[in-house]
Amino acid sequence: MDFLGEGLRRAVALLVSGDGEVYGIALLTLRIGLIATVLACGLGIPVGFVLATRPFWGRRAALTVVNTALAFPTVVVGLLLYGVLSRRGPLGGLEWLYTWQAIVVGDVLLAFPIAAALAAAAVQGVDPRIRRTAETLGAGRWRTAWTVAREARFALAAVITTAFGHVVAEIGSAMTVGGNIRGQTRTLTTAVALYTSQGDFGLALALGVILLLLALLVNVALQALQGRGHA
Amino acid sequence: MLELLGVRHRYDGRVVLDIARFVVAPGSGVAIVGPNGSGKSTLLRLLALLERPGEGEVRLDGVVVAGAKAPRAGASPRRRITLVEQRPVLLRGTVRENLEFGLRVRGIRRAEVTRKVEDVATRLAIAALLPRRRHELSDGEVQRVAVARALAVEPDVLLLDEPASSADRAAAQTLYRALAEERARRPLAVCLASHQLEDAYRWADDVRALAEGKLSPVTPENLFRVELPAGASGGDLKHVCVGPIEIAATTDKTGPAILAVPPTDIFVSREPLTSSARNVFLGRVTRLTHQRPGAVHVTADVGVELVAVVTEEAARDLGLTPGGPVVFSFKASAVRVF
Repeated sequence: MDFLGEGLRRAVALLVSGDGEVYGIALLTLRIGLIATVLACGLGIPVGFVLATRPFWGRRAALTVVNTALAFPTVVVGLLLYGVLSRRGPLGGLEWLYTWQAIVVGDVLLAFPIAAALAAAAVQGVDPRIRRTAETLGAGRWRTAWTVAREARFALAAVITTAFGHVVAEIGSAMTVGGNIRGQTRTLTTAVALYTSQGDFGLALALGVILLLLALLVNVALQALQGRGHA
Repeated sequence: MLELLGVRHRYDGRVVLDIARFVVAPGSGVAIVGPNGSGKSTLLRLLALLERPGEGEVRLDGVVVAGAKAPRAGASPRRRITLVEQRPVLLRGTVRENLEFGLRVRGIRRAEVTRKVEDVATRLAIAALLPRRRHELSDGEVQRVAVARALAVEPDVLLLDEPASSADRAAAQTLYRALAEERARRPLAVCLASHQLEDAYRWADDVRALAEGKLSPVTPENLFRVELPAGASGGDLKHVCVGPIEIAATTDKTGPAILAVPPTDIFVSREPLTSSARNVFLGRVTRLTHQRPGAVHVTADVGVELVAVVTEEAARDLGLTPGGPVVFSFKASAVRVF
């Protein structure tokens, strides 16, 4: 138990002292997490809307694909992306392998199905009369979608929170395509794995605490954006 | 003119609506009467362009605006037709914001929006509700707000699905009065679905009956869902069970069907008549209503409730009074089966 207590004390000391390396890793994680969440939700939520509201041929199959993609192992996504971004791969010319951009791409690939599937479920959960009411009052496609989104705002906020949580907690893809390079692609999760394997439990724990604080911060921010929850 | 042509609509493979032609003329008042599940709400949703018919088309002023082969109707034709559903919902926000919604999507100036909202709220006696939110309203209040919200956008056609189902008598009267005032003020066509014949007759110019997704060829009274026996008891004459009574009808159909007895084909007397009528039922008058000038609707309990129409003079001569004895007679060939 001593090493746990010692680890926690070290964690607090590192956080309070404003350790450059710790905060550098945290900021990079936050940047990657925010960019990937914005991109994944920006693409996934509209796709979820379409899946939930537009009848088209193959809709059921598309929903199945999206739902299956939810369970995609992160390391497999990382592996496939590695093949695509490596020098001999189709996107090797971008030279993104072992950069933070590669981690963003991997995270977007992982979070996109989450955003699409959960957004589809959120929209399907809205009373269909809301959509019909907006339409019969003359709203066009976008205004109707906005009206439905307002009704599903809590569920859609949960979509964003879940996507962000998945992105910042992901390690398999970040390790494979990012390479865990100090000062460049080392994120909170890859750093925790590294420092734990090196026996630096205090540093690993400090980074874990920051990871939790980041998730808490995003949740609080989203709740504040939702307002007081008037009907 | 809003028109439904050759529409056959299915849910999960089952035909729920099968209508050759249905018209809502400009400025007209049409009531659709029928039991629950008869297809009234589906018909209104098709007319409101909220659903595309599986077969057939919807035309607005002669132009196809929705159809099996046409793309989904855009906002432009939908802005001329507004539907108030049987159990309407209010959008997020206050009652005022709900009334403003349709006006804002039309890009109307703020001052004009405020004026129109307050005008319609006054007419429907909901001005006090304007600052309230949906969870602070009763079902009846939500219904009145929904009608006000639809009237605020001044559509050419207003479709109402059981608009007074949650309203008390006073609220229903306020609502019908507001509709009458609106129709007097401008050419507004109203198409209302109801299961209450009296309300329908009170204000509609044309009352149409819907049963099992089909428009009845006769008036909406005396419609019964029946099971026609397979074997005829004599030619095409069949004795069909309707509740505790048997109605004789001439038809070659078998199986499930709708049986209709036109009220004008029923002879009303105090004593049984010696006649060729195969159907003679003794009962008691339950209601006498004057739904059209010069005509009296006589409702009698003869085992089931039947309605006959007689002239005011005939009703007076027969001395019909609620609770008094009455005999209804009609020929088997007068019974319509569809």
